[in-house]
Amino acid sequence: MKRRALVVDDEAPSRQELVELLAETGRIEVVASCANAFEALRALQREKPELLFLDIQMPVLDGFALLQLIDESLLPQVIFVTAYDSYALKAFQENACDYLLKPITAERLNQALDRLDRRTGHPLALQTTLRPLRQLPCSSTNRIRLVDVRQVEYVVCEPGGIYVVTASDRAFCDLSLKIIEQRTALLRCHRQYLINLDQVDEIQLQGQGLARIRTRSGQLVPVSRRYLRQLRSHISQL
Amino acid sequence: MELILALLQQLSVFLVIAYLFSKSPAFRPLASTVLQPRHKLLLYAIFSTFSILGTYFGLPVQDAIANTRAIGAVLAGLIGGPLLGTAVGLTGGLHRYALGGFTAFACGVSTTAEGLLGGLVHLYLVRRGHDSELFRPALAFVTTFMAEALQMLILLLLARPWHEALALVQTIAAPMMLANAAGAALFISIMRDQKSMYDTFGVLFSARALNIAEHTLGLFAQGVDLAAAAPAIARIIQRETGVGAVAVTNRQQVLAFVGLAADHHRPGSPIASELTRRAIAENRILFADGLSEPYHCVLRPDCPLGSALVVPLRLDNEVIGTIKLYEPKRKLFLNLNRTLGEGIARLLSEQLLRSRYEEQKRLLITSELKLAQAQVNPHFLFNALNTIIAVLRQNPARARQLLLHLSDFFRKNLKRAGDLVTLADELDHVNAYLAIEQARFDGRLQIEQTIEPALLNLKLPSFSLQPLVENAIKHGFSQRLEPGRLSLRGRQCDSCVILEIEDNAGCYQPNPAHDGLGLSLVHRRIQNLYGSAYGLSVTCQADEWTRVCLKLPLPQEAP
Repeated sequence: MKRRALVVDDEAPSRQELVELLAETGRIEVVASCANAFEALRALQREKPELLFLDIQMPVLDGFALLQLIDESLLPQVIFVTAYDSYALKAFQENACDYLLKPITAERLNQALDRLDRRTGHPLALQTTLRPLRQLPCSSTNRIRLVDVRQVEYVVCEPGGIYVVTASDRAFCDLSLKIIEQRTALLRCHRQYLINLDQVDEIQLQGQGLARIRTRSGQLVPVSRRYLRQLRSHISQL
Repeated sequence: MELILALLQQLSVFLVIAYLFSKSPAFRPLASTVLQPRHKLLLYAIFSTFSILGTYFGLPVQDAIANTRAIGAVLAGLIGGPLLGTAVGLTGGLHRYALGGFTAFACGVSTTAEGLLGGLVHLYLVRRGHDSELFRPALAFVTTFMAEALQMLILLLLARPWHEALALVQTIAAPMMLANAAGAALFISIMRDQKSMYDTFGVLFSARALNIAEHTLGLFAQGVDLAAAAPAIARIIQRETGVGAVAVTNRQQVLAFVGLAADHHRPGSPIASELTRRAIAENRILFADGLSEPYHCVLRPDCPLGSALVVPLRLDNEVIGTIKLYEPKRKLFLNLNRTLGEGIARLLSEQLLRSRYEEQKRLLITSELKLAQAQVNPHFLFNALNTIIAVLRQNPARARQLLLHLSDFFRKNLKRAGDLVTLADELDHVNAYLAIEQARFDGRLQIEQTIEPALLNLKLPSFSLQPLVENAIKHGFSQRLEPGRLSLRGRQCDSCVILEIEDNAGCYQPNPAHDGLGLSLVHRRIQNLYGSAYGLSVTCQADEWTRVCLKLPLPQEAP
């Protein structure tokens, strides 16, 4: 059975070449090829591939930063593909499966896939040391950008996806609510909401264990019964 | 009448002595307007002697002496002021008093008064700022004339019996007034001539020193190479100082020899003279004046050279060689040439130091440039090869084009870093680079180029544009997700040429680590070549654009 893989590289010719080489091996099915980390995050959630061919130098978010943003349950095996050998050590510290130097030969690519086969049976986990996120990768109508976590008032999960809301703006985010909760100081206040306590103006109690938060810019965020108690204990610790 | 002639006769003897004095070194201090106490003492001695001699040379007339004593006193006052004048007058007067006669006392007083009168004239003129008038013969004539008239008056007032005094004055007044006044005028004119000669001499000396400085200025422009510059140095020094011969040596051997005895003092031969070896070892100037310490040529006993000055050439306080000035046995080694020789050596030492500094600066920039190229190229090369391999599969003809661009790029890269190239050449280099990067990013990078065609022949240092373009791609375009636009603009202004590279990323941060070596290196190289009015500046509108502006001199002004 072919392995399902994702190719991420900001250089189109390089990307196409790798896709061709992978097709020639007959061992890999490329489910998507992406030009940057933002596209890759979306494709990862959509396709849930088991293998990721990842370029390191990319605009805005590089390959290492991308790995930090992937939901643990979705973490694939990673083979780095780059023109620079200076990142090799760091790549293996990130528990990468292999590290390929461009230009890539068919023989070397097959070796990497062999190594991957031997690795099977091991947990797939890429044991990265997770650092707190300071920025969230977001896209609004026509541009992609990083939003500073400190500016965020709340994050909401809607049928269309995850939205990051600041005082002035609302942007689509490629990360899951769970990852944002784990990797930032934002707190869960509702099944669908994360709140930034630093941006809270007041909590309005509504009885029956329900409440509503007003943010500094005056936006309202619901607090469910289940999370109100946790929120209270959190505030009392401040 | 006879008396006048007799007085003029003794005056002649007097003036001969004055002339000889004006030629002696003792006179030199008088040539300056401001006198030090030491010089005033000297003046006092000299003019007192004159005054006393004037009395001795005098002619006995009616139990008195017709004389030229007044000249010393009046001139001392004129040149040195009231105090000196009075002192000389008093000395001359006391001497006269000691000789006795019925006018002894009156003469003593009057001579002192004459000195004082000269001093008052001096004071009057200096206070009014007419210092230069002091040496005018006409002034000396009038002053002395008046002083003698005063003396006659004093004689009539003080000498007793009065009728004898009157008879004496009637006899000597006219001759003495005329003779003393004329003598003083002549004396002062001799002094004036001598003084102006010193001034002219000073001007000549300065001119010669400046001449040498000018001629030696470019000698080390090509770097610290004493051996190469030695013949020119020796020639210039010999021509300007006019000494018998000049040699330049390093620490071991003679590098150049010009002038007398060049037949056996050969360039390339080891240093034979003990004097030179000592000057090098002790790092100091040595002088064999030819009198108390003769210079003996060890090479040949009949060598005409008899005196020598050896001046060490220093670089960072370390002796790297010497300059030697020689005079033949029959000629005296002039003090003037000694001073000049020492000055030239100092001048050359400073030039050597400067030249070494420049050389090191040049070397540093060149080696930094080479280092920067060596650092950048492998990354670029592997990315380029990867792109070309990918393109080869889809479009072999295009891959071939790209390989040609790559070869073009590397050929230009191999050119020596220090060379000047035309803008057209530099743009070829940039375009070869951009062709590869455009292929690599497959249409995401757009290039605009507006360069005034007249500028294509402009000369600029190689690698002035390429690092800036590379920078814009590496730190600008490739950091952004959006498609990139890169503009290259070139235009001529009133006083300079402006080349601009603008990207639409706006990622520039003034952080030396971020710049790489590129920007600052280009900047320093241009400033080094064209001066601080030119160079590189960066402006940035965050997230909008970054503009790197290169300011170069107009083509005709570039050296």
